[in-house]
Amino acid sequence: MPLALRDLQKAFAAHLSGEDQPALVAEILPAAQRLRIHRHHMLDSLGSALAATFPTVQAVVGADFFRRLARAFIGQSLPSQPVLAEYGAGFPAFVAGHHAARDLPYLADVARLDWALNLAFHAPADGRLAAADLAALPADELPSLRLGLAPGTVLVASPYPLDRIWAASQPGAAADPVDLAAGGVRLLVLRRPDDAAFVALSAGEAAFIAGLGEGLSLEEAAGRADTGFDLSACFARLLGLGALAAAQ
Amino acid sequence: MTTTRIAIASALAAALVLPAATQAQGNMERCYGVAKAGKNDCQTAKSSCAGTSKSDSQTDAWISVPKGVCDKLVGGKTTAG
Repeated sequence: MPLALRDLQKAFAAHLSGEDQPALVAEILPAAQRLRIHRHHMLDSLGSALAATFPTVQAVVGADFFRRLARAFIGQSLPSQPVLAEYGAGFPAFVAGHHAARDLPYLADVARLDWALNLAFHAPADGRLAAADLAALPADELPSLRLGLAPGTVLVASPYPLDRIWAASQPGAAADPVDLAAGGVRLLVLRRPDDAAFVALSAGEAAFIAGLGEGLSLEEAAGRADTGFDLSACFARLLGLGALAAAQ
Repeated sequence: MTTTRIAIASALAAALVLPAATQAQGNMERCYGVAKAGKNDCQTAKSSCAGTSKSDSQTDAWISVPKGVCDKLVGGKTTAG
């Protein structure tokens, strides 16, 4: 008896992601060889998409290891959207929990940075607040302003020197070793006019922008920062970077 | 307005009137930039060929030794937990 369409589709998806479905092969599509083409095609396409989205992870572990990691992820997490650039949101968490990466405890943070850069790169480049936009406002209204973060602006904090790990993973990087004990970083990932980028923040800057991201006013967010925090320099820096969203 | 609030208002206002050159440093400060090639959501040319590969590596054991630049990442805590 032929499988109902929904069962056929479910069996086909299960077969593609790696688990043989005897009923499917025997009753509907006896050509196992042809089904395998679909499987290879899907795994290769999704693996390539993940490699493009997580280039630093791939550089850190190498192409072979990455392919295994990607394949294990694909097996449990098929895309829910047709756009491949949006595939992989769950990959950092998957990496964090995967036994194969247990000796590389920084790898999940590397994946989070890659994902943040991917989101930033695909975020719209316009809609950024500039200093001139606020020039007409009376100074005493500034502290109570609630400014959102511009699309693509994300804070990525790690107990590892992620910026150095990233730099060492770029093609043509020097072979100098990176000291993992060098300390953690707070990176601000941004959409710039032509690319995505990140800069390192001080603890105070990170606390300030995290507060803004939570919807706090400028004054409340400044209260989150430590005592040595230079609010003026930080605000100017964030405006210059285009990290804040234009007022609606 | 409290003294603190006045100080905050002044600091924020000062940021807005920094010389243009200083503000522009934001755009010129050292960033790590990432420009990507657009991702095609078909990739058929390459993948169709890959799909016809006769080797099915699905059952292969994990290649459990990474071979990337992680060799360069040394010191500190290298195991989880």
